[in-house]
Amino acid sequence: MNRKDSTSAFSPNRREFLHGVGGLTLVIGSSGLIGACTTEQPPPLPATGSTEITPNIWVTLGADDTVTVQFPATEMGQGSSTALPLILADELDADWDKVKIETVAFHDEAYGNPFFQNMLYTAGSLTVQAYFDPLRRAGAQARKLLLQSAAAYWDVPVEELMTEPSVVVHPASGRRLGYGEIVAFTELPETLPEVSDDELKPFGSHRYLGRDMPRRDMLAKSDGSAEFGIDVHVPDMVYASVLRAPVEDEEPISIDDAAARAVDGVTDVVALPWGVAVVADTYEASKWGKEALDVTWSESSRFREANSATDLDTYVGQAEDLAQTGTAWRAAGELDAAMEGAAEIIEATYRSDPAYHAQMEPMNATAHVTEDGKAAEIWVSTQTQSLSILGAAEFLETTPDRITLHPMYIGGGFGRRTLRRQRYVEDALLVSKAVGRPVKVIWTREDDVKDGTFRNAAAQCLRAGFDGDGKLVGWHHRVAAPKVLEYMNPPRWEVSAGRDVIAMLGSESSRYDIPNFRAEHILTERCSRVCAWRGVATSYTKFAAESFVDELAAARNIDPLEYRMQLCHNNPRALTVLETVAEMADWSRPREGTALGLALAGYSSTFAGGIAEISVDESSGVIDVHNFWLVADAGYLLQPSNSEAQLEGNVVFGISSALSEQIDIAGGQVQQNNYYDHPVMRMHEMPNIEVRAISTDNPPTGIGEVGLSSTAAALANAVFAATGARVRHIPLTPQRVLAAMQA
Amino acid sequence: MASFSLNGQAVEVDADPRTPLLWVIREHLRYTGTKFGCGVGQCGACTVHIDGASTYSCLTPVSAIEGREITTIEGLSPDSDHPLQRAWVEEEVPQCGYCQSGQIMRAADLLATNPSPTREEIVTHMSTILCRCGTYNRIIRAIERAAEEV
Repeated sequence: MNRKDSTSAFSPNRREFLHGVGGLTLVIGSSGLIGACTTEQPPPLPATGSTEITPNIWVTLGADDTVTVQFPATEMGQGSSTALPLILADELDADWDKVKIETVAFHDEAYGNPFFQNMLYTAGSLTVQAYFDPLRRAGAQARKLLLQSAAAYWDVPVEELMTEPSVVVHPASGRRLGYGEIVAFTELPETLPEVSDDELKPFGSHRYLGRDMPRRDMLAKSDGSAEFGIDVHVPDMVYASVLRAPVEDEEPISIDDAAARAVDGVTDVVALPWGVAVVADTYEASKWGKEALDVTWSESSRFREANSATDLDTYVGQAEDLAQTGTAWRAAGELDAAMEGAAEIIEATYRSDPAYHAQMEPMNATAHVTEDGKAAEIWVSTQTQSLSILGAAEFLETTPDRITLHPMYIGGGFGRRTLRRQRYVEDALLVSKAVGRPVKVIWTREDDVKDGTFRNAAAQCLRAGFDGDGKLVGWHHRVAAPKVLEYMNPPRWEVSAGRDVIAMLGSESSRYDIPNFRAEHILTERCSRVCAWRGVATSYTKFAAESFVDELAAARNIDPLEYRMQLCHNNPRALTVLETVAEMADWSRPREGTALGLALAGYSSTFAGGIAEISVDESSGVIDVHNFWLVADAGYLLQPSNSEAQLEGNVVFGISSALSEQIDIAGGQVQQNNYYDHPVMRMHEMPNIEVRAISTDNPPTGIGEVGLSSTAAALANAVFAATGARVRHIPLTPQRVLAAMQA
Repeated sequence: MASFSLNGQAVEVDADPRTPLLWVIREHLRYTGTKFGCGVGQCGACTVHIDGASTYSCLTPVSAIEGREITTIEGLSPDSDHPLQRAWVEEEVPQCGYCQSGQIMRAADLLATNPSPTREEIVTHMSTILCRCGTYNRIIRAIERAAEEV
């Protein structure tokens, strides 16, 4: 009772069909004319015979009333596969039930995200922010075209027409035409109507946006039918398990595969530059074969020296050495003069360890390379269609049009699936090329941890200067961290002018009114594989900055809430967030046995504030989190309920990582293995969490990561409030809490 | 040759007796709703029912299920309309969705033996299944909603 072979988790885009080499995909077709929504009998329609029209790259209108919207991102739990089509459907005034969603599965800059050099790239909470405007305009343009066509057909002024979902109405005569009926007699004009700003629906007047339309991926994710990368099965495929070099940049120098080849079901052993792949008819045989390998590895990699504890000490030395200057991330005023003239300077240094994504779906990929080795079909859970295609093309030394990608649902991204070089895809490409068959490679959890591509370690030196009146006049934020962007995506680094958003985001502290300011990136040596992690750098830059603000408030003997309100006195959105979260937590109410900690820590253009209520076991140093409140203002909310779900998830993820998730590297080898020694928060460990997403009349911004910037600092500040001890190293492990208490 | 019942149908699988049930279900039989997360009984993404009781399929060798009844997410209900599945959709529980089959199978086991669990009983029972997206609050709400319906 075997089940079907895979195509894709989503309806593939028609361009994929045109470009595809494998021919496995199907196109959503239009199926003739279906009259709908007519209430009176019009004369026969002057059909052009068109079954569909495509007014712009984003939408195709079918004569059968379907509305097909192109989705240029990845659905990884954040809900944008619903939100983006909803933006277009709302402005088009389409019947949402008639909207079909196609994932763009090829690399085309027309669909790309301008924040990522027009790559198809889902990261940084930038999907809605990037596509809100183009999708609104695309929907409005399609609607305008339908209105013009209906007006011409009825011979009435277009101003007399209005729309209901998927119907054009002429109220004066009571006549109605379904969108599909109009499509059947509409020819695309040479010049499509332009849409001016005042023709777009104002905020608050939308039919769908702001009203919690059900997410499209819920049922498939509740009955097991959602197809993730790891679920792929293609005809004639074999499995491969890869024994990976224990240290980055090492390679196999001798391979004893006799025992591996003796495993029943093993068909091949393939040496890779970074490991040894055992190929078998079944996954289990490939895994047993891998376990039977005896490989001698080279011992020449510089990463053999990598040690996360001592490397971080080196970073600290660089952060604190003011003679070392870095790349400016944000500068304002005259910081050096302000610090020189300061009556008082306060300094503190913060540390953060590497952090593992721990996404639930381990890395995996399926690939089928053609005999000449110059074309491939790949199935992969990816956050970037563009880089999966471009990276595979570069790897095979071929052109991107010869790579056919099947993007799948992804079992957690959090930044892990954003690199240009996707080693799991390369595993599958190399093995497929070697054996001439489709190959599915599944990493074990241990592979996923030990070959992890982590949030980089960082050391941050914060310095504040005060004038004689105790006014904060200078802020210096020195982030010692490697060039993360260079490792993730070298071409993007080349055009970034040295600005490493992955290492620096959040250090701009733009909510506060500080006249003289500098945040700079002190470049350090990379000591592990690195990439973006949920919240990008804000998970550590805001830990440092918001802990430091708390330290300054304490030094000035001012309430931490009051101090922040003074610093952002001219920022109404920040003030509202602060007031709201303080009200939710009942900030000024005295506590017995617990203490509160606050962080005002947004993410890019999204404002957020969090408050933790904790107690500390003074003998063990264990932090017990009782409550966490999080408020965010991400502008105009498209999906309020989903926004709050995202915030809740942020708090769980953020507390989990801030308290206990640790990656240690010794001799270049990751010491952790699996969830038993890298625990992530379980349900019974979750505190009471209350979140609020405020909708404001600002352009919508991201909400999938914003909580990660608040959690660590709020917890550390609460520890200070509870114990008087300042823990300046995340994760806030019991040992570190105890050490701070004893200091 | 292993013989057992999968979602009410008799199946025979030619697999090494040591093969974890997880891989037999997913790769031999291609019921991929059951997920691989850790392989060591830590994350619970692989949770299925064996004779009605939720179990880590990654830790269960196929030799141990001879003649037994296995239920996966695909067999929980005929039309994806188990009260828990309806509640999962209503409450919009899933984010990435990868762990949710395991969550639902684990919750189904709870409601089968305890139709009106307290919040504390839900939390204790469900703590075997990890969710990295952090959907725990909604999981609790969905189980409470389904319990009202059962």
